[in-house]
Amino acid sequence: MNTPTLSELEAQATKAKSAFGADAHIVCDNLVRIYKTEGVEVVALQGLDLLIQKGELIAVVGASGSGKSTLLNVLSGLDVPTAGLARVAGMDLLAMTAKDRLRYRREVVGFIWQQTARNLLPYLSARENVELPMKLAGKARKDRAAQLLELLGVGYCAARKPAEMSGGEQQRVAIAVALSNSPQLVLADEPTGELDSETSEEVFEALRRANRELGVTVVIVTHDALVSEQVDRTVGIRDGRTSSETLRRAGAEGEIIAEEYAVLDRVGRLQLPRDFMNALHLERRVRLELESDHIGVWPAREEPSDEH
Amino acid sequence: MRTLLARVHTGPAAVLAVLTLSACLLIAGMPRVLQAAYDEGLRRTLSTTSAQEHDLVVTSMYGDVLQERGQFEARERAFRKVLPPGLASVVTTGGTSHIAAATVETPAKDRARQYINVGWLSDLARRVDWVSGRPPGRTHTTYVPDQRKFGTVPVVEVGVSEDAAQRMNLGIGTFVVLGVSHHTAIQVTGIYRPKDAADGYWEHNLDAYKVERRLVPGAEEPDLYITTLTSDQGLRTLSDGNRRVVYSWVFGVDTERVSAREVPGTVQAIKDFQRAVAVEVGSFNQGRLETGLPRRLAGFLGSLATAQTVMYLVLGGLVVVALGVIVLAVRLLTERMDAALALMRARGGSLPQVTSAGLAQVALATLPAALAGYLLAYLVPGPLTPIVHVGPLLVPLCALGYAAVRLTLAHRTPLNERRDDVTSAKPSTRRITLEVMIVALALAGAYLLRSRGVTTEVGTQGQDPFLLLVPVALAVAAGLVTLRCYPYPLRAIVRLAAARRPAVPFIGLTLAARARSFTVLPVLILLPALAVSVFASVVSSGVSSTQELAAWQQVGAQIRAEHEVEIPPEAVRRIERVPGVERVVTAETGLAQIARSHIAVISIDLAAYQDVLNAGPVRLPPPPTGPGTPVLVSPKLPRDVTFTANWHVPMKLTSAGVIDSLPGMGSQGEFVVMPADANERSGTPTRVNLALIKGDADPAAVAAAANLPGLRVRSQAQALAEIRQAPLTSTVQSTLVMVTAALAGYAMIAVIMTLVITAPARARTLSFLSTLGLSPGQAQRLTVLEVSPMILITALAGLGLGLVLPAALGPGLDLSAYTGSVAVGGYRTDLLTPVLLGVGLTAVSVLGAYAHTALGRRRSLGSVLRVGD
Repeated sequence: MNTPTLSELEAQATKAKSAFGADAHIVCDNLVRIYKTEGVEVVALQGLDLLIQKGELIAVVGASGSGKSTLLNVLSGLDVPTAGLARVAGMDLLAMTAKDRLRYRREVVGFIWQQTARNLLPYLSARENVELPMKLAGKARKDRAAQLLELLGVGYCAARKPAEMSGGEQQRVAIAVALSNSPQLVLADEPTGELDSETSEEVFEALRRANRELGVTVVIVTHDALVSEQVDRTVGIRDGRTSSETLRRAGAEGEIIAEEYAVLDRVGRLQLPRDFMNALHLERRVRLELESDHIGVWPAREEPSDEH
Repeated sequence: MRTLLARVHTGPAAVLAVLTLSACLLIAGMPRVLQAAYDEGLRRTLSTTSAQEHDLVVTSMYGDVLQERGQFEARERAFRKVLPPGLASVVTTGGTSHIAAATVETPAKDRARQYINVGWLSDLARRVDWVSGRPPGRTHTTYVPDQRKFGTVPVVEVGVSEDAAQRMNLGIGTFVVLGVSHHTAIQVTGIYRPKDAADGYWEHNLDAYKVERRLVPGAEEPDLYITTLTSDQGLRTLSDGNRRVVYSWVFGVDTERVSAREVPGTVQAIKDFQRAVAVEVGSFNQGRLETGLPRRLAGFLGSLATAQTVMYLVLGGLVVVALGVIVLAVRLLTERMDAALALMRARGGSLPQVTSAGLAQVALATLPAALAGYLLAYLVPGPLTPIVHVGPLLVPLCALGYAAVRLTLAHRTPLNERRDDVTSAKPSTRRITLEVMIVALALAGAYLLRSRGVTTEVGTQGQDPFLLLVPVALAVAAGLVTLRCYPYPLRAIVRLAAARRPAVPFIGLTLAARARSFTVLPVLILLPALAVSVFASVVSSGVSSTQELAAWQQVGAQIRAEHEVEIPPEAVRRIERVPGVERVVTAETGLAQIARSHIAVISIDLAAYQDVLNAGPVRLPPPPTGPGTPVLVSPKLPRDVTFTANWHVPMKLTSAGVIDSLPGMGSQGEFVVMPADANERSGTPTRVNLALIKGDADPAAVAAAANLPGLRVRSQAQALAEIRQAPLTSTVQSTLVMVTAALAGYAMIAVIMTLVITAPARARTLSFLSTLGLSPGQAQRLTVLEVSPMILITALAGLGLGLVLPAALGPGLDLSAYTGSVAVGGYRTDLLTPVLLGVGLTAVSVLGAYAHTALGRRRSLGSVLRVGD
């Protein structure tokens, strides 16, 4: 037996083990969020793990009720998780004071909601809407609003009120509002949910431009699986946990290749896609076999019933 | 940004501004009106007093020797110097103020029953016109003719009034020797007439103007008293220490300058002055201050305190309700701003930033309005009291305070999403404890109020603020209980409705039964508003009916004619022929000696008298029956005994029953009611001296028809008018009516505002139900069913509380000052006003609900469903 010596164990223990996702921009580790109303507990996030690098453009996709909006609220500093670890740009979202939280919302994060009307104050012009967060933070910069609107292709809307703009224009102004305080992270909750595909394309283009030119990390939450075609990486959420990832990369001949991966968590848990399980009638337990370059998963053997 | 916010929410801001303005006007204006009414009441109270009663008179006698005008004036200056500031402001220098000196009860020699005092008035020259002769001048000495033994006596020249000259035979040149031991002679040199006999000045010197007649017991003719007036020179002689001379310094009081607020201070100042005067004059000289002012002021303070208590009660309720409605308006405004502020908060607005942005809107709506209300209150006539300045500040402070708390709570955490569409928050223990405490405090207060009384002793001890809060606390307590309990009966009805086929009642009542947090405020406003207004209207009608009763008690018939001696049968017949007279019941009243005491007796036909009284609220017991001469006696006299009463002749009477009161016999004292023929039964004729007249006749016509000198005719209507015109009575009455109206108005506003506040939520529900096939008619019924139960139950609870309050607080609320001294008892539940109020309110709410859905129908379903999605 290759028993480690005491000194070896000691060395192993003292060796600085790099923390989970220490270098990532956004780290969610075993994140739990439980809503309690009248004694009924709803577990919206049940141990979610997520790592996002700086400058990434990523989509979080999930069905209604999968917990993606909760995740977004947690990341935007509007909601506090019940347990786990959530860190954005080195700030621990669970341990922030109210003052930190305010600073976080002012300097680190910007966000865009699905409802165009909810993003903008109806009685302010586009420029005034963009200036509002800067004024709130007390550091209004001249021309910043105009620049942002120009960058996002809605410079001509500067003097218009939301009611005088199309849905796409409103959302692009909303992106400008989210970017006004130069955040490191922009969160978007179904930003194209109310838009047709053509307009959606404009909005995604605007987000991509912000990501590319300003180096902002962009996280888009949506239930629309087709969004994955618009982003580099798509994280799927199921039942309050990350279940799959789709990576998009350019192939050898310039074509776009999208590959779907299952997510393996730190302790080795894996969530099998539902249709795989259904196809092979995987239930309760499976048999695993380690091969040289993969792991095989088989349905459990039919065992003779004890009753016979 | 802020101006934009304001421009967007002009509607609610305007409502808030109007409410603030009216509340400030009310809070600043009402005290002024009331204070002016109190001052007017005081003026009217004092205007019935004579100058002699309300002026301050400092007298000094025995041993004080003042001979020169200068000495008197120096003394006056000394008195004015010690005049407390509270008194100096009301004391005049001119007016009735003067200095006087006079001998007291100086008998005239050789003139039986004539007393001729010699006096001096500091300003005689400008007070009288000399009718004949000349003003008195120098003094000399002489021997009294035929009485050499007296030696020389000083002769003082005097003037006498016309009346004295005539009645006491004191013509010009008359020479009279006065005094018993130290003789003085007077010689009349002139006859004068007061320049203005009606001036209060002459009340102080009445016997210098008119002969005073005093009837001494046992004497057949009255003694005559007069004061003659002499010159400064005469004064020197007069006041040489040999005679009893009373000096008096009269300090006229300008009753117009006494204000109701300063009355307690004035009373205290008079006491201080009294002490100062005693020191200044010296106790040996019996210097003292004489004035009836404190007694009058104390009487006024008593009724003022009662008036103030009632005013505090109803105005306190009004202020609470007004503030409640303002808070509701603030809620409407802040709720409209919530979406924008929540976005600001989420986008990085700090709590102070967001709260101050919201507060700025509330301030913008309230502060200018409060200022305008405050300035408008200056148009209201009346004196400026501290509350006029402080009160209007309270309104915006209250609005801003509530807004600050609400905004802070609403935006403490950004994106504070509550799922109150799914579950209603359970009340916290802290809140339940607070509510239980309020209810317990209110009940304890009500108990204290009943046992101690809220208006008793207020004249001397001031108001008890705790007891003044009791009615409002009771209303709030009832509101809390209603809030906690109203879903239960509704749920029972919902269960019934669920079993039936139509869906509308079930859904409507279910919506109504779900206790939503925003129903708290309307209930807490509506209930006190209704309760206090019903209370005010019940008290008001109670006071009017008691005033009527008091008038009947005083007069005893629609018209009462009485004569000191007798009303002959012909006169009675003439009265019967006066147009409008339906019936005349005659009676004889007098004093009879019963067991060593004199007791009022009346012989009257009670059955006939009851017929006369049928027009009023007074009811009599049936006529006494039994052997002998059965009589009814007042409660303290023995019953079921036979006794002897010495009236015109000794009469044997049997007390056959008790009568609590007989109109016109006064409420205190003992009396005996005999049958109409009691005198005849004892063998003497009945001499009618009282006629009680039924019918709507003119009292003057009755007096004219009777044509009997000395006949006093008084009608119940006159008595009622006198009671109603008593100072402060009309103020109390009109304030009660005004408050009732204002509260009804506020209640309506509260209902409408509730409808508006709940409108977006209701619009969503209705739109959703419309997609499921709800027709517009059903939507209207649904709205009515949702809105009306809360208002109906609150209205009922408010009505009930308002009706119970007077009964519960009745013993503690002494309003007899306004009802001719008859205690307001047994508030008749005149349900008309309260029920009208309740019905009106419910009607407005139902109409509002209909109008609301009718207006809502114009919006397309799609747009409604997308609102705030």
